[in-house]
Parts: sequence; C-alpha cells; structure tokens
Amino acid sequence: MEERLIATVASVLRVPKSTLTLHTGPGDLEVWDSLAQINVICEIEAEFGISIPVEQVTEIRHIRDFLHYLEKTP
Amino acid sequence: MKCALLSNVNVESIARQMVAHEVYIAQGYGAWTRELADPTSGSLSYGPSSVFLIIDGAELMRGQGGLEPTLAEIRQHLACIEQAAERLPGIKFFVSTIDVPARALRPLKEERIERHLEQHWHRGIARASASHGNIYIFDLKELVEQVGRSFLYSNKRWYLGGLRFSTAGEKLIARELERVLDAQLVARKKCLLLDLDNTLWGGVIGEDGVTGIQLSETGEGARYRDFQLRIRELGEMGVILGVVSKNNEADALEAFERHEHMVLRKGDFATMKINWSAKAKNIAEVAQDLDIGMDSIVFIDDNPVEREAIRTELPEVTVPEFPADTCELASFFGQVFKDYFFTLVSTGEDRKRTDAYLANAMRAAERTAAPSIEQFLTGLGTKIFFSRANDEDLARAAQLTQKTNQFNLTTRRYTEQELRALQTTPGAEVFIASVADKFGDNGKVFTGIVRRDRLGTAELDTFLMSCRVLGRFIEDQILDQLIKELRTNGLSRLRVQFIPTRKNAPARAFVERLQGGQVVSDEEDGVRTWEFDITNASPVTQPAYAELRMQPVRFPKALP
Repeated sequence: MEERLIATVASVLRVPKSTLTLHTGPGDLEVWDSLAQINVICEIEAEFGISIPVEQVTEIRHIRDFLHYLEKTP
Repeated sequence: MKCALLSNVNVESIARQMVAHEVYIAQGYGAWTRELADPTSGSLSYGPSSVFLIIDGAELMRGQGGLEPTLAEIRQHLACIEQAAERLPGIKFFVSTIDVPARALRPLKEERIERHLEQHWHRGIARASASHGNIYIFDLKELVEQVGRSFLYSNKRWYLGGLRFSTAGEKLIARELERVLDAQLVARKKCLLLDLDNTLWGGVIGEDGVTGIQLSETGEGARYRDFQLRIRELGEMGVILGVVSKNNEADALEAFERHEHMVLRKGDFATMKINWSAKAKNIAEVAQDLDIGMDSIVFIDDNPVEREAIRTELPEVTVPEFPADTCELASFFGQVFKDYFFTLVSTGEDRKRTDAYLANAMRAAERTAAPSIEQFLTGLGTKIFFSRANDEDLARAAQLTQKTNQFNLTTRRYTEQELRALQTTPGAEVFIASVADKFGDNGKVFTGIVRRDRLGTAELDTFLMSCRVLGRFIEDQILDQLIKELRTNGLSRLRVQFIPTRKNAPARAFVERLQGGQVVSDEEDGVRTWEFDITNASPVTQPAYAELRMQPVRFPKALP
C-alpha cells in the first residue's frame, strides 16, 4: 500500500520514487507546488478509488497523511 | 516544438504533461483575448509555431445575461482570433470547439440555448478556418462527446484550483495537442497494405465464394463494409492503398468486381499482390515498385502469424494489432489513422498521389515497350514548370523537405514558417517546380533553396525531388536552368554539397554525374562539397528531355 502510494505520487510529480518517503510533502520538492498538490490528491483518489473531502485537503502535509484515508477503504 | 497554450481556464497542468515540447502559458489565465490582441504579449513574442486556444464553454458563458449579449461576445472573440491570425501568418492557430453544459435545472418545455452557443461558436471558427489558412479547428467538443463530461471534467479540481478537467481528462487533451504538434514534425506513413480474407470481408473467398463471404449493408457483414468505407476515406486523403493476400488472384478479383456491397474496387488500389508467396517478399516488392521506404508502410492482417512474420522479417514496416472483436474494426481504424496517417490538412497534392502512382504504372509499361530509354523519355512529353516559390507553394515545399528521403542532396527539413522567413531573407530563395506529362500531372514534386554570398558564389542549401519522377533526368534539367538564372544574375560559382544518408543513393548518383567540379571539402562522415565555375560552362551532362517553362524571376534576391 505504502509503496503504491509513493509510486503514484512519483508518477504525478515526474520524479524518481527514491526521492520520496512517507514524510515528504508539498514544499519539500520544488516541483510539488500547489498545482501539483491538487494533481497528487486527484490521482490518489482515482488510483485508490477514494474521495478526500475538500475541507480536509489542507490537512494533507505529508504522503503519510493519505494513509489515513486508504486504511478506511475496504 | 514551441507552442503557446491560451485558455479562459487554468491549463498549466496540461502544459506540464507535454514534456516533449516547449509550452508557453500566459500568466493570468483569463487573459487570453488580451494575449491575442497584443503583439508584444508573452505568448506571441515567444515565437511559437502553434498557438492553441482551449476555450471552456461554461466559463465563456459565465455571467452572461441572455442569448444576444453572449452571441455578441462570441463575435468579438472570433474577430480577435481572426485579426491575430492575419497579423501573424507564420503561426498556426488551433481554436477549440466548445462544450457548454446546461447552466441550470430547467423544465422540459424550455429550449437549451447552450446548443445554440456551441453551434454558433463552431460555425464561427469553421468560417474563420475556411478563410484563414492558418486557423484550424481543435475539436474539444468531440472529445467531450467521446468520453463524456463525467470523465473529462472534475468538480473537485475546479473548486480547488480553477482546473476544469480531471487528471485523466488533462492527459487525454495533452495527448491530442501533442498529436497536432507531432503531425507537423513527423512524416506520416504513405502506404496502407491490406490482407483480404477476414480483413476486408468475413470468410475466405477461395472457399466461400463471392456470395458466401460476409459483406453487407446491414447486419454482421456491415462490420467489414464500414471498415472498407473508412479505408476509402483514407485513400481519398492521398494515402496509397494496396493489397497483399494469399489467394488465387482470379477469386479475389472476382470478389472486387462482382460483390454488390464491395466499397473498395480494383481502381482504389495502386498495387495488388495476390499470390501464394511469402507476404514479406510481396511487401518488399511493393516498396520497390512504388519507390517508397519500408518505414512508410502500414500493414493490416487478421492473422497473428502473418503479422509476427512481417514484424520479424521487415521490422521497419508498421504492423498494428488487429482487433479481437471485429465489431471494433471501424473504430480500430480510426485509431490507426490518428497514429500513423494523421494530418492537419489534406493538400490537393496528397489527393492526387494515388492517381500519380497509377500513372506511374502506365509509364513503366511504356518504358518496357520503348526501344530505348531516350525514346521513352522523349515520348513522355514531359513539361516542367519552374519558378520562385510563392506564398501558396510554401506548405507544399515544406512538406517536400519533410518527406523526401531518396533524391535529396542535403536532407535538411524545414517548416512552412522557416521557408516563409527565407523568402524574405536577402540572398536566399526557395524555388519549386511541377512536372506533367502525357499520363497526367505529377504536381509540385521538386523544391530547392539557393543562397548567395557577396563574392558571386551561390550555394545549393537544398535540392530535392519526389521519387515519383526520378529516373527521367528532370533534376539535371532543373539544375541547368537554375545555373542559367544564376549566371544572368551575375553569379559565377556554384557550391553543391552532398550529405549522405541511409536512403539518398539517387542523390549521390546525381552529384557524381555532374562535370567539372572541384572538391572543396571532404569531411569524415562522407559529406562532400564541390564548386563549379558557372561563368561559361554547366556541369550538367544529360540532354534535355522535357520542355521547361520558367517564370522570369531573377533570383536569389540581392544582398543589401
């Protein structure tokens, strides 16, 4: 699950997977700007078939924050 | 390739997907009309060869009061696009069609004015495209219709970042934009070769007979008829069609002649190889007969063994996978078109091409019958029309530089935009020639670029000719005429360069039969440059077989 999550983020940002850990987040990489953040969220939603409420989007500061939503999915 | 993306919504994320190209995005995404109107704006001064206008219908209509004011605004936008296109003839403008979702919940009695707006916009850009050679229609609405709004749009992205399209939608749009850019760079394929049994019709003609094969107006047999309709459309766009099939020739020809629902007829094909030889051998012969490279051939066959054999033996030939479900044949072919034959415009020259290949077959027959090559060439009644390339010729001249591989001295590729710039460059000139004979008009088959320096030397930057008129010494006669023009214009020397490629042996044969040249440079990679004194002599040794008409234009233009 964690690996698939990092792979998804890496493909959106067009960076090698090795540059990312669960603790990486927007601001840590130059390419991960606010636009990229929207793309990351939407790609993860599509990849894992989940929906992250708009109200909670600002709370996502690191890749590990997505895990919280993924664990809820069946 | 440099391009600019203008939109009334945020398209930056789409631009990021197009990694193979340099994409300029206007700052402040609502500013697209200002960007267009202002020649010093970032997107226009950046020097793009293509400008895309991706117009979001919902955003365009936002805050409009009623139909009339909206229509008036659309007219203004269209006028703005047309003015930009007129001011910048070297830039191609791709204007999107629009999709306008219903604005509100409405009763079933109420008319959907959105449909009017979509139509009005479409008619407007279609008119602009018809009257401006550099305005094209980018059919975004068609994309919406194909995949659906729920796939293409994303509410979340809209509210979060003003991004109208979903991530999947953006990928799709980026791919379509890249296709348009690539079509300007990559040479499209020239020839489509088709198997017959279970490809152009259902069943096996040798076993089922003309009445037994599946091919009909309606029902199951319509799968193949619809497929044939698409293939004929491709033929009309100038792609050469051919048949490569293992069959008894008489059986197959009977089907083409007698089947009432056969769309394609014998005359639609420039070549038919219907025999029991290996298909690789037949395809190699087709390439030779038509004088085209293996890499410009696409081969369609339902049999996986045949496909694999061609992929192994002739790796340069493109062999798409055949659809497992033949109900998808016509849509499969739509994809084949997009992937290998996509073109922005189908030029008159393209459409004439299949006819030209047929005429070539007749010429070949006459050549076999003629007692000598000289008598054959004289008997053809060839006429060459040679002139400076004018504005209307430049699209064709650019296409020739992009596609010609065999008779091409330097194989330098140029875009229409670059040639347009050359036509106003002092000391440079683009010239073009068309060729006709008693079998038909070959159209504009020859182009070249000559540059002069201040010391009386002219240089052949480019000298190329379509292979369909090769072997008739037309190139010799054109060079001879060109030298006369240069001499009249006070030039005394001509520099000719040959850059070898894997394919341009015919050009090597040409430079080697020129006389009196002095090798001025000989580089390691086989690039060789000669200089000829043209004050009294001509390096051309071949007699003139054609009647040459020259538009009396002195060129190249003088240097300041």
